[in-house]
Amino acid sequence: MTAPLLRLDHVTKTFGPVTVIDDVSVDVLPGRVQVLLGENGAGKSTLIKMMSGIYQPDGGRILIDGNETHLPTVKAAEAHGVATIHQELNLVPQLSVAENIMLGRTPQKLGLVDRSSLRRHASAALERIGLRVPLDRPVGTLGVAKQQLVEIAKALSQQARILILDEPTAALTGTEIDQLFSVVEDLRADQVGMVFISHHLDEIARIGDTVTVLRDGQFVQEVPADTPENELIRLMVGRDIEDQFPRRAPEQPGDVLLSVEGLSSEGHFEDVSFEVRAGEVLGIAGLVGAGRTEVLRAVFGADRYDRGTVAVAGDQLPPGDVGAAIEAGLGLVPEDRKAQGLVLEHSVQDNTGLATFRRHARAGLVDRAGEKRRADDVTSRLNVRMAGLGQPIRNLSGGNQQKVVFGRWVLADTRILLLDEPTRGVDVGAKVEIYELINAITDNGGAVLMVSSELPEALGMSDRLLVMSAGRATGVLESNTASEDDVMALAVSNIEPAQTISSEGEAA
Amino acid sequence: MSPVNPTRRQTLGLTAVLAGALSLAACNRGGGEAGAEGGGGGGTVMLSVSTQTNPFFVQLVDGARKAAEELGLTLEVQDASDDASTQANHLQNAITQGVACVIVNPTDSDAVSASIEALNAAEIPVIAVDRNATSGELVSYIASDNVAGGAQAAQALAEAIEDTGQILVLQGVPGASATRDRGQGFTEEIANHGDIEVVAEQTANFDRAEGLNVATNLLQANPDVVGIFAHNDEMALGAIEALGPRAGSEVFVVGFDGTGNGLAAVEAGTMHATIAQQPGELGAQAVEQAQTVVEGGSPEAEVQVDVVVVTAENVSEYL
Amino acid sequence: MTATAQTTSPTRRSTLSKVGHWAMNNGALVGLILLCIGLFIATPAFLTIPNIINIGIQAAVVAILAFGMTFVIVTAGIDLSVGSVAALGAMVSAYSFASLNLPGILTVVVGLGVGMLAGSISGLAIAYGKLPAFIATLAMMSIARGLTLVVSNGTPIDTSDTVNIFGSRVAGIPVPIFAMVLAGVVCWFILSRTVLGRSMYAVGGNIEAARLSGIPVKRVLVWVYALSGLFAGLAGLVLAGRLRSAGPQAGSGYELDAIAAVVIGGASLAGGSGRATGTLIGAILLAVIRNGLNILNVSSFWQQVVIGCVIALAVGFDVFRRKTDS
Repeated sequence: MTAPLLRLDHVTKTFGPVTVIDDVSVDVLPGRVQVLLGENGAGKSTLIKMMSGIYQPDGGRILIDGNETHLPTVKAAEAHGVATIHQELNLVPQLSVAENIMLGRTPQKLGLVDRSSLRRHASAALERIGLRVPLDRPVGTLGVAKQQLVEIAKALSQQARILILDEPTAALTGTEIDQLFSVVEDLRADQVGMVFISHHLDEIARIGDTVTVLRDGQFVQEVPADTPENELIRLMVGRDIEDQFPRRAPEQPGDVLLSVEGLSSEGHFEDVSFEVRAGEVLGIAGLVGAGRTEVLRAVFGADRYDRGTVAVAGDQLPPGDVGAAIEAGLGLVPEDRKAQGLVLEHSVQDNTGLATFRRHARAGLVDRAGEKRRADDVTSRLNVRMAGLGQPIRNLSGGNQQKVVFGRWVLADTRILLLDEPTRGVDVGAKVEIYELINAITDNGGAVLMVSSELPEALGMSDRLLVMSAGRATGVLESNTASEDDVMALAVSNIEPAQTISSEGEAA
Repeated sequence: MSPVNPTRRQTLGLTAVLAGALSLAACNRGGGEAGAEGGGGGGTVMLSVSTQTNPFFVQLVDGARKAAEELGLTLEVQDASDDASTQANHLQNAITQGVACVIVNPTDSDAVSASIEALNAAEIPVIAVDRNATSGELVSYIASDNVAGGAQAAQALAEAIEDTGQILVLQGVPGASATRDRGQGFTEEIANHGDIEVVAEQTANFDRAEGLNVATNLLQANPDVVGIFAHNDEMALGAIEALGPRAGSEVFVVGFDGTGNGLAAVEAGTMHATIAQQPGELGAQAVEQAQTVVEGGSPEAEVQVDVVVVTAENVSEYL
Repeated sequence: MTATAQTTSPTRRSTLSKVGHWAMNNGALVGLILLCIGLFIATPAFLTIPNIINIGIQAAVVAILAFGMTFVIVTAGIDLSVGSVAALGAMVSAYSFASLNLPGILTVVVGLGVGMLAGSISGLAIAYGKLPAFIATLAMMSIARGLTLVVSNGTPIDTSDTVNIFGSRVAGIPVPIFAMVLAGVVCWFILSRTVLGRSMYAVGGNIEAARLSGIPVKRVLVWVYALSGLFAGLAGLVLAGRLRSAGPQAGSGYELDAIAAVVIGGASLAGGSGRATGTLIGAILLAVIRNGLNILNVSSFWQQVVIGCVIALAVGFDVFRRKTDS
C-alpha cells in the first residue's frame, strides 16, 4: 500500500463544551477516492475544514507526506496542494472562464493583463479535465455543473494533489454527474488523492474506493465503497432503515383536487396539463431546466403564466396570486429552503406560523398564545428536534427545517401540497420521516405534487410520474411499473441541441 | 456617400464643436463691448448666489434685481444650493453663454477659485459679493466687514449687560469664513471688556433648531448667563426660544445678519440687537459695479457696505 | 470538590453569566448607562431633573423619526426622505395656517397627512415600481425639500397655535416627550402585536419566503413607508412647534440621525430585526452625547468625531455579539 498524501491522525476538535470530532483518523491516498459518510452534524465538514486549513485540530496531528504539518490558514493548505471544491462555488460570476481560472495569479506584463498568457494557461487547465467551454464566457452564464468543473480546473492548475469535493453532485443532473465522475476517473489515474462527500449512496459505490463512516463526531468504521447501501445506512444512522421509500397509496384515489389545463409560460414551459386526485402523489421528473420548478411555482401563483388554467376542485384560481392559492388549500415547499422557505434568523415558532398568523389574527392583532400552542402542537406531531420554539431556525438541521416548512402547511389545512425537491440536504433518517409526512397527507385525503431530481425518490414516492422535457410534458408513467430508463427516455425526448444550451443558461 | 472611418468622423466632430465654442466666445467678447442688446447673453450679467434657502441671500438677490431693473441691466440669477460643484457648473455655463460680467457669491472661498481663474482666462470680468475668493482675479469685491461686525456685536452686547457677567457664544458652521470672522471680531473686542466672561462657545451650525437645543444645554450648565451672541439670527432666534420669557429682560441676545425674523424679534424686544449686513445693499452695489464694467468703465476694487447695529431704537428704519 | 462548592458555584456563575448575557443583548442600554454615569461624574449640571427633561425634548424629533425608520429598517429598507418630509409636512401645515387660514386642528391633520402621503408615494414606487428603497427615498428627499422651498419661498413661516402645542408644555408635561412616548408605544404595538408588524419582520427576514407564505408583501411595504412618512409628519410638527415656525432647512440631515438611532438600538440593516425600545435608547443616546458635549463645552470640531465613534462602537459591538451568539 502506498503512503498517504495526507493523514488526519487521531484528530479531535471541540467548540466550547461540544466535541464535534472525537479521535478520528482519515487517510487520503494518491489515486484513491476516500468517501466521508455520515448524517448532517456527524463531523464531515469539520474534518475537511481541518484538511483545508480553516480549522486547526485541538488534539492529534495532520501528516502530509508523512511529516507532521500545521495548516494555520487556507493559503498554507493550498501551498501543500490541498484544494477544496465547496457546495457554494468560489467563482466571480461576472468574470470570464479564463479570468476565473487564473484569479489571484493573473499573468501580467508591464502592469497590464497579459491576455495571451492568461488564455494559454486557462486553456491548458481546461484541457487537463477535458472541459470544453469558451474561455471568454462569463462564468455566471454557465450551468452549475460547468462552473464546478471550471473550479476543479482552477484547483488543478494550482498544482493541487489533494482535492476535496464537498457534495459536488448536489446540484447536478445525471449526465452532468457522469461528466464530473469521468473527470474524477482521470484524476485518479493522475494519482490525485480525493476526498468525496455525498448524500447519494449510489454515487459512493460508483466513484469511491473506501468509505469512512462517522456518527456524532466519532469514527464508526472504514468499509469498502461497494458495501451494500442498507449496510451503509445502518452504519450511518446507527439502526436499520427497512424501507427507503415507504410510499403507502390509498386503495382508491378520490376526486380530482387539482387540475391544470394547457399551462404555458413563454420561455419556461408550454401546454402542460395534468390532474392530481385526492390521496394521490403525482411526481414530476425531468432534467434541470425542463421547467418543473417553474410549473410548480406557476400553479402556486408565485409566478405568472401566459395561457392555461389552474383549478382546485373545479374552481379556477386567479393567476399570479399566492394568497388565493393558499386560500384554496395549496401550499408550496420550495426548492431552496434557505432562500425561499425560511426566515432563517427567526424562531421556529415564527417560521411555523408564517402562513397562518394572518388568518388567526383578531382585529389585526396576532394571536400570540394561539401561535405558540399551534406551533407546539405541530412541531411535536412532526417530531421536530430542537431546543425550543424560540430557537432560531438557522440552528436546526436540514431535515428538521424541512419538517417546519411542512408543519407550516399542516397548520394551514393544506389539501394540495406542492413539493420541490423535498429531501434535498436532508439526512437519510429524516428523509424517511418526510416520506411518512407525505403519506399522512394523502391518507387524510390530500393530494401531493412532487418535483424530484432523484429518480429513485421520484419513482419510489409517487403514484404516477409526469415527465417533462424542455418545457413540455412528454408522458405520464405508472410509478410502480416504470423503470429509471423509461423516465430518462421521456426526459430527453424533447431536447434539441440548441435548447440544452439555453436551458443550461437558465439553470445558472 | 464615401465611407468615413469612425475615428476620423469623431475627430471631425470634435473639431466642429471646438470651432463652434471658439467662435461663440469671440462673438461674446464683441457682444460685451456692444452693450446690452443682442442674443446669446451678450449684455447679460450672471449672479451666481450660494443659496436661496437663507433669507439673507434672498434679500441680496432682491436688492440686485431691483438695482438691475433701475439700471436697465439683464440679470440672470443662478442658485448653487450651497453646493460648490453646482456653482462651478453655473460659472462654466457663464463662459459658454459668454455673459458680459459675472457676480459671484461663493459657496466656498477656496472651491470657487478654479472657476474664477477659468472666467479670467475667458476674459469675463468677475465681481465677488459677500464672500471673497482665495485666488483668481476680481475686478471688484463687495462685502460687509464681518470682523468689524463681530466687534460691533461685542460692543452692543457689552453695553446691554453693563460690561459685566457671563455670556455664551453660538458659533456658525465650524470652519466657515463667517464663523471665523465674526468670532474673531467678537473675541478681540470682548477682551477689552474685562469683566465679561465667555463661559461657553459651541456650534449650532447656523440652524434655528440646533440653536434652541444647544442654548438649552448651555444654559443648563451655566445658569448665571446674562448675554448670548449668536453668529447669525437663526441661531439667535433658537436661543430666544430656549430662554423663553427671560429673553430681552434677564438675558440679552445679539444676533447677526438682520433678517426679517431677526428684525421682528428686535422690534418685539426679545432680541437685543442684530448686526444688519444690509444684504440688499450688497446686491445693489454688486450690480452697480457690474454696470460700470459692462459699460467699459473701471469699477472700485473693494466696496465696503456699512454694517449697522440694529436695536429697538433704529429698527423701524430696516423693517 | 465538596458538595457545597458544587452547589454554590454554578448558581453564582449562572447569575453572573445571566448579567453578562443581559448586558450583551442590551449593549446600547449599557452604553447609555455608562455614559450617564461618566457625565454625572464629570459635571453636576448633567444629572438634574430639568436637564433630563431637556434631553428628552431634544431626543424627541429624532426619536419619532427613528420609530418610523424602525419599520423601514425591519423590512430591510431605508428611508432617506424623513428629514425632508418632516420639513415639508411642517411647512405645508404652516402655509395652510398662514395663507389659507385653516383652523388649528386641520393644520395638524395637514402636517401629518402630507407626511403620510409623501411616504405612501415612496412606498408605491418601491413596492410596485420596483425602485430600490435607497433611490426612491433619495428622490423623495430631494422632492420634499424642493417643495418645502417652493411653499416657503425660502423663508420661515409661523405655525398655528395648535401646532405650537407640540413644542410646548401642557400642564407641566413637555409635549415633545409625550409625542415621543406616544410614537414609541405605537411603534412597539405595531411591531410586536399586529399582523402588519409580524408581516414586516417576515418581509425583512426573507421577502421570498414571506411572499410564498401568502403575505401581501407589496401592501406591507406601502404601509411601512406610509407609516414612516406619518411619523416624519409628526416629527416635523414637534420640530416646528418648538420653534413656533417651519423653516425651509429644518430637519436636514436628520434622516442620518434617525438611521443611526435605529442601528445603535440593535436593528440590522439586513432586515428582519429591530425593536422600538432599542430605537428609543439609540435616540436618547445620541441626545445625551450632544447634551453632554455641550455641557462640557467640547470643541465643535471634536463633537462630530465623538458621535461617529459612538455609532461605529455600537454597531461594532452588535456585530461582535451576533458572532459570539452563533
